[in-house]
Amino acid sequence: MKRSVIPALGLALLLAAAAHAQTAAEIVAATDKVRNPAQPFRATLRLTEYIGGRERSHDSMVVFSKEDRGTQQFRNLVQYVEPARDAGKRVLLDGHSLWFYDPDSKVSVRISAQQRLIGQAAIGDILTVNLAADYTPTVLGIEKIDDATRQPRQCWHLDLKARTDAATYNRVEYWVEQGSFYPIKGKFYADSGRLLKIVYFRNFSEQLGAIRPTESIIIDAVDATLATTATLGGYAYQEIPEAWFQRDYLPHLEVK
Amino acid sequence: MKIAPRPLVALLLTVFGCAAARAGDGPPGEDQDLNLIPQTAPATPQPGAPLAAGALQKIYVEDAVTGSWLRGSLVAAPPPLPPRWEERALLDVRKEWHLDDALRFLYSGRLNLRAEEGLGFPNHENLTSDLREAYLSWEPRERLFFDVGRINLKSGVALGFNPTDYFKTRAVVEPLSVDPVVLREDRLGTLMLRAQRVWDGGSLMAAYAPRVASDSPIYTSFDLRSFNPMFDRTNAHARWLLKGTLDVAYGLSPEVLAYASEGRVRLGANLAESVGQSVVAYLEWSGGRQGSVSEDALAFGRATGGLPAAAAGVLPGLAPVGFRNELAVGASYTTALPKITFNLEFHYEQAGFTGADWAEWFRTGAGAGAGSPLAGALWYVRDYANDQQQLISHRFAFLRMDWVDAFVPKLELSGFIDTDLVDGSLRLQLGADYYLSDRWTVGALALIDSGGRRSDFGSLPQGGSVLLRAVRYF
Repeated sequence: MKRSVIPALGLALLLAAAAHAQTAAEIVAATDKVRNPAQPFRATLRLTEYIGGRERSHDSMVVFSKEDRGTQQFRNLVQYVEPARDAGKRVLLDGHSLWFYDPDSKVSVRISAQQRLIGQAAIGDILTVNLAADYTPTVLGIEKIDDATRQPRQCWHLDLKARTDAATYNRVEYWVEQGSFYPIKGKFYADSGRLLKIVYFRNFSEQLGAIRPTESIIIDAVDATLATTATLGGYAYQEIPEAWFQRDYLPHLEVK
Repeated sequence: MKIAPRPLVALLLTVFGCAAARAGDGPPGEDQDLNLIPQTAPATPQPGAPLAAGALQKIYVEDAVTGSWLRGSLVAAPPPLPPRWEERALLDVRKEWHLDDALRFLYSGRLNLRAEEGLGFPNHENLTSDLREAYLSWEPRERLFFDVGRINLKSGVALGFNPTDYFKTRAVVEPLSVDPVVLREDRLGTLMLRAQRVWDGGSLMAAYAPRVASDSPIYTSFDLRSFNPMFDRTNAHARWLLKGTLDVAYGLSPEVLAYASEGRVRLGANLAESVGQSVVAYLEWSGGRQGSVSEDALAFGRATGGLPAAAAGVLPGLAPVGFRNELAVGASYTTALPKITFNLEFHYEQAGFTGADWAEWFRTGAGAGAGSPLAGALWYVRDYANDQQQLISHRFAFLRMDWVDAFVPKLELSGFIDTDLVDGSLRLQLGADYYLSDRWTVGALALIDSGGRRSDFGSLPQGGSVLLRAVRYF
């Protein structure tokens, strides 16, 4: 009897060791690939804001996204479509180079990383962030948590610490489903340690050759009555020349 | 490859089974977050094409009513006094059409229905049309652009004063607010040809605006033309502008400008750089040949017949044309919570009034009767500076604040304090906009000009005003 138990335990330990061979960095890199296509693309982002559970407002924008081979981070050009009062406004989000263009004033204004977070365009930036590029992750454990549809998911629970100035948040807690590498949930913290946002991912479907989450629910942890759903759709590969990331290109950005 | 294939993960889960799952279950509080999710059905992905149409236009109607209070016993009373009330209904349209893959037509304009104290009704000035822009944009090769028509060409990284915004002169038309942000929007473009090339490491732009009209006297709110493009305000002289940006380091791309008009050349530069996560520092400079503000006002007044030749004997600060500088230097700072952005700037206008000039202005004005030619000449200099979007004094400090989701979601508070550092007088404006819905916005604006009777803002005939407005977007 003992003879049969010992090999089984050994096999289990071997398998466990193999599982731990997946480093935290590799898990994060793999889940980044689930969220972000490998080639430049455009997508539409529709945001619905809720206050106290009631729909309050809508924002729609077109996002042009391209990975910077140097930083391995996505750079985004965002053009507002809705609401009508913001139609045509554009934001360039390229690492530290952040510019806002208003077609009414017809000038481009440089904005800080903090100021970027005030506008809804930052959500597009957050959703396409390559966490592996800016954060040092560690695996805190394996947990079964409910996803946004209250289905249990077996997840790696990761702790990500910012390691570059480009990181928007100081710390992120992240739950990634084992096997599929689907992002399930994230918690985003300020420098002070204060929890700022809770994000759930849901509505996984095939987009640009892979199964990706097409909807995120962003809960304001400071004022829990506020929540925003972000729906990505209309994915299409698009050639995006480097010159598009010049601030002087912003007035010429066309959404066809 | 270190990442475990899916079957191995599945086997591990099977081996350790439920025990492992129970041992690793998330903390109870984790699933409490689910209760914060709005109860709504998951959305389906949106198709891209229908959304894009909204990006090509902005159309709204607005109604604004303004009440002002006037000061008595001014050191010098301007002719005419500003109205004590104004009602304005307007239709504002900005729209672009894609004529083919490389050709666009862009239009921006406003139709105003106005009534104000002293204007009379009905009157052809009750209805005015501002043609801000109408031009063709052609992209024959990728990132090479040629534009022709009336174009609002703007420059500058500062917020309160833009020395390099060379096409701002005389272009602002009847703004609803004196907020510099609004002044940038409520202005006429210039008839011009423009070529621009944008490449990976920078851009280069050249613009030529021809002379198609003659200089005209400074407009007041009582002599605006109903349907007239008013090229006399924007194309009374031929003008050139050349500007370029170059990436000199990661995230650092200064802009340099050269501008020529009426035989005078001005050079300019813009620089903005992030400092940490919350601060952007910026500098905007322009320098070139110009007269003092009084000297240039006198020349303009003589040319347009707005000022008698005798005014030369009473205007303070007359100084011949020479190299003069204009500067705006400042920084923005954004707080995480609450969401407030502050801009603090220092403005310098070498051509503006010094303390001695102001003292002379008030000394002369004290002896001028209301409505007298002498008072008219003194006020003409200030009207000229305002018309040219030029600072009247040497030095100003400017602080602006914008607070998003102030106290309650969808309430935006903004305001600024513009302080004349020569005499300490100030202009304070506070505004509140509440976004009732995606389509409706209501707002209020309060303005106060404060200072001693013999100071820049304290000597203005208008002590303050309150504006109420409602906007419907389409």
